[in-house]
Amino acid sequence: MSDATTLDPQAVTDADAATRSQTSVIDQRPALDVHLQTARSPLAHLFTARADANAGVVLEEKAFLGHLMLRGDPAQSGFAEAVEVALGLALPLTSSTLNLNDAGVSIQWLAPDEWLIIVPGEEAFAFEQALHEQLSGRYQVVNVSGGQTVVSLSGAQARQVLMKSTPTDVHPRAFPVGRGVPAVFAKATLILRHVSAKEGESEFELVIRRSFADYLGRWLLDASEEFGVCIKA
Amino acid sequence: MQRYSGFGLVKHALSHHEHWQKVWRSPEPKKEYDVIIVGGGGHGLATAYYLAKEHGITNIAVIEKGWLGGGNTARNTTIVRSNYLWDESAALYEHSMKLWEGLSQDLNYNVMFSQRGVLNLGHTLQDMRDIQRRVNANRLQGIDGEVLDTQQVQDLVPAMDCSASTRYPVLGASWQPRGGVARHDAVAWGFARGADSLGVDLIQQTEVTGFRKQDGAIVGVETSRGFIGAKRVGVVTAGNSGVMAEKAGFRLPLESHPLQALVSEPLKPILDTVVMSNHVHGYVSQSDKGDLVIGAGIDGYVGYGQRGSYPTIEHTVQAIIELFPIFSRVRMNRQWGGIVDTCPDACPIISKTPVKGLFFNCGWGTGGFKATPGSGNIFAWTLAKGRAHPLAEPFAYDRFNSGKLIDEHGAAGVAH
Amino acid sequence: MMHIFCPYCGELREEEEFHAKGQAHIERPIEPEACSDAEWGDYLFFRNNPRGIHHELWIHAVGCRKYFNITRHTVTYEILETYRMGEQPGITAETLAAEQLAQSAAASAASSTTQQTGDARP
Repeated sequence: MSDATTLDPQAVTDADAATRSQTSVIDQRPALDVHLQTARSPLAHLFTARADANAGVVLEEKAFLGHLMLRGDPAQSGFAEAVEVALGLALPLTSSTLNLNDAGVSIQWLAPDEWLIIVPGEEAFAFEQALHEQLSGRYQVVNVSGGQTVVSLSGAQARQVLMKSTPTDVHPRAFPVGRGVPAVFAKATLILRHVSAKEGESEFELVIRRSFADYLGRWLLDASEEFGVCIKA
Repeated sequence: MQRYSGFGLVKHALSHHEHWQKVWRSPEPKKEYDVIIVGGGGHGLATAYYLAKEHGITNIAVIEKGWLGGGNTARNTTIVRSNYLWDESAALYEHSMKLWEGLSQDLNYNVMFSQRGVLNLGHTLQDMRDIQRRVNANRLQGIDGEVLDTQQVQDLVPAMDCSASTRYPVLGASWQPRGGVARHDAVAWGFARGADSLGVDLIQQTEVTGFRKQDGAIVGVETSRGFIGAKRVGVVTAGNSGVMAEKAGFRLPLESHPLQALVSEPLKPILDTVVMSNHVHGYVSQSDKGDLVIGAGIDGYVGYGQRGSYPTIEHTVQAIIELFPIFSRVRMNRQWGGIVDTCPDACPIISKTPVKGLFFNCGWGTGGFKATPGSGNIFAWTLAKGRAHPLAEPFAYDRFNSGKLIDEHGAAGVAH
Repeated sequence: MMHIFCPYCGELREEEEFHAKGQAHIERPIEPEACSDAEWGDYLFFRNNPRGIHHELWIHAVGCRKYFNITRHTVTYEILETYRMGEQPGITAETLAAEQLAQSAAASAASSTTQQTGDARP
C-alpha cells in the first residue's frame, strides 16, 4: 500500500505513515567469493601501488564501500531520531556538515532534504535494511554503491593538489575537519570531504562518480606528480 | 572626398602627412531628417552608406551615444564566414560575404578583408555528421565548403594537436576557404567615410533617450541634444536593443549577455587560418599584428557590464590549450567583454515593429560582425521601401509568435 | 567572480557552482490550448532584459541542486538578495526607486533646515 518513494503528498496519510515501507530491498553485493573474483573498482587500472617515502601526496582508493543516498524531510517527526538509531550517528541538520565515526560510517549533509551515507561495503545491505526498519512516512533510501568510489587524498601537499583543481576554498579556516561539499573539480564534479587532521596533516576524501573516475584519477596523478606520489593499493 | 591611392600617399609624404583631410565631418544635428539611424556601429554606418548610395536618400543622420564603432564593432573577434545551415540564414550571410569580397574597392578604404579560410572542427561522430549535413546544405545553397579529414586539417594547421591521444581528438572539419577575418575598426571607419562623403550626418556623443510617436507612428527621437524629427527611424544598437525597444513601448525576445575575447602578445606568424571548435568550445585566429585573437562562450546570465566572468576566461584559455598545447606559455595581453543580444533561435531580427515607421535590426547574437555589409545593405533597402527586403522577410519579429523559427544554434555554434 | 549566497546551503559559494536559468517568476499558462499564438509566443520566448534590477532563476548545480531566485543588478552585477522558490522578491526596481526618492527628500529637507538656521543667525 504505502510506497516510500511516492511523490504524491495526498498519498501519505497518517495511516500510511504508521506502516513500514513496502519497498523491496535487495542486497546488491554478490556473495563474498564472487565479489573477490569478479569485482573491479573504478580506479583499479590506475592506482597501482607505488612506494615513495618522501611523497608529498598519498593517494588511496577506498574501493567497494557502501554508498546510500537518503532523502526525506528532517522536520518530519521521528525522522532524525530514526536515522540516528539506524546509523549510530546524528543526522547533520546544518549545511555541509559531515558526521563520522571510527566504525567507518559517515553521513554528510548534501541538501536540506538529502544526505550521503557511506558505510563499509559488506555492511551496506544491513544499514539499508536498518534505515527502512527505522524510518517511516515519506522518505527514500537508494543504494548507489556501484556508481561511485572514494579516493583518499593525504600527505603534506594534499591541500596544494586541491588548490590546483577546485575553486572551493580549502583553507583550514574555511574548510575544517567535518566539512563536506559537492565541488567543481578539474571541470568535472565530485564530493569533497575533510575527514581528519593529524599533526597538521589532513586527509581528504573525494567521492567520485564511476564515469568520471578514469578522468579524475588521471588528473589527480598528474596534479600530484610534482610533489611526489605514493599510492596505497 | 579625397580618394586614397598610392599616388596620394607619396604626395602627402612630401608635406609630412600634415594635410590629409578629415575622414568625416562632425556636423550639428538638423531639426529634421528623412531617416534617422540610431547607433553608429558597423551595421548602422553600413545602413546609412547603402541608403545614400543605392537608394538616393542622403538626408540621413546616424546618432551615436559614444563614438563611431565603439561598441561591439570594437569588441568582436572579426571572423567572417557564411556556412550556416538553413537556407534563410545562409542566404543572408552569403549576401554579406559577396559584399565583403568587393568592399575595400567599393569604399576606397582597406578593410583588410583576408580570405584565409575558416575551419569548424569535429571531435565526435555526431559533430562529423552535423558537419557533413551543413557542408551538403551549403553546396546546395551555392556556398563553398568542404569536409576535411584529420590529415587534411593537420596539413592546414601544423601547430594544432591533431593526434589521437587528446581528450577530444580532431576527427575532421568543415572548411570554408572564402571565410576569413577583417579589420573591425577599418570596417566602421570605411563605412563612416563613405556615408559622410554622400552627405550623411554622423552625430556622435549624442544619446537617444526616447521615441516620439503620433497616432502610433514615429515622428522623431528625443536625444541628449534635443528632439530630432524623422518619419522613418532604424534602430541598430546591438547590446542595447532590448532597452531601446522598451523605450519605444514594446518587448523583444532578446536577452543580452556578456561575451569575452582575449588577445595575446604578438607572435611570429604561426596560424594562417581561423580555427573554431564547437565541442572543445573556443576559436582562435592570428591578426596581422601577430596577436592570437581568442574567444569562446557567453556568460549564462543577463549582463550589461561589458566585462565577463573569470571562470569563462579560464574555460576559454583551457579550450585553446587543449587544441594548441604549443600556445601554453603564450601570455595574454588584453581581455574585454562586449554585450550580445541573443535571440531564442540564434538568428537576427530585421523587422518593422508595432510602431509605424520604426524599424529594428538586432539580435545578431555572437556573430554579427560577419554580417556587417549585408545587414546594412538589406536594412537600408527595408528602410527605403518601408517593407522587409526579401532576404529579411524570414527574420521578422513576429516569427516568435507564429512559431516560424530558424534554428541556427548548430551552425552559430561557439560564440564568435 | 560572483559570490552567490545559496538560500538552501546558507553559504556564499563560487559562481562556478551555479547556473543561470533566465528570468524568474514565469508562469506556464494553465491552459496552453486556450492561449492565442501571441500569448503562447510571449510565454515561450519574450523575456525581460532590463538594464538594472533583474529577478532571475538560478540553480546551485554543483551543490544542493536546488533552484532559487536572485535579484541582481545587470550592470554592476551586484546581488541584492537571494530567495527561495515560491517566495517573492523583497527588493524590486520600484522599491529601490521609492527608497531613493525618500532619501533625496530627506536630504533636501535636511539642507533646507540648515539653510533656515543659517538665515536665522544675525
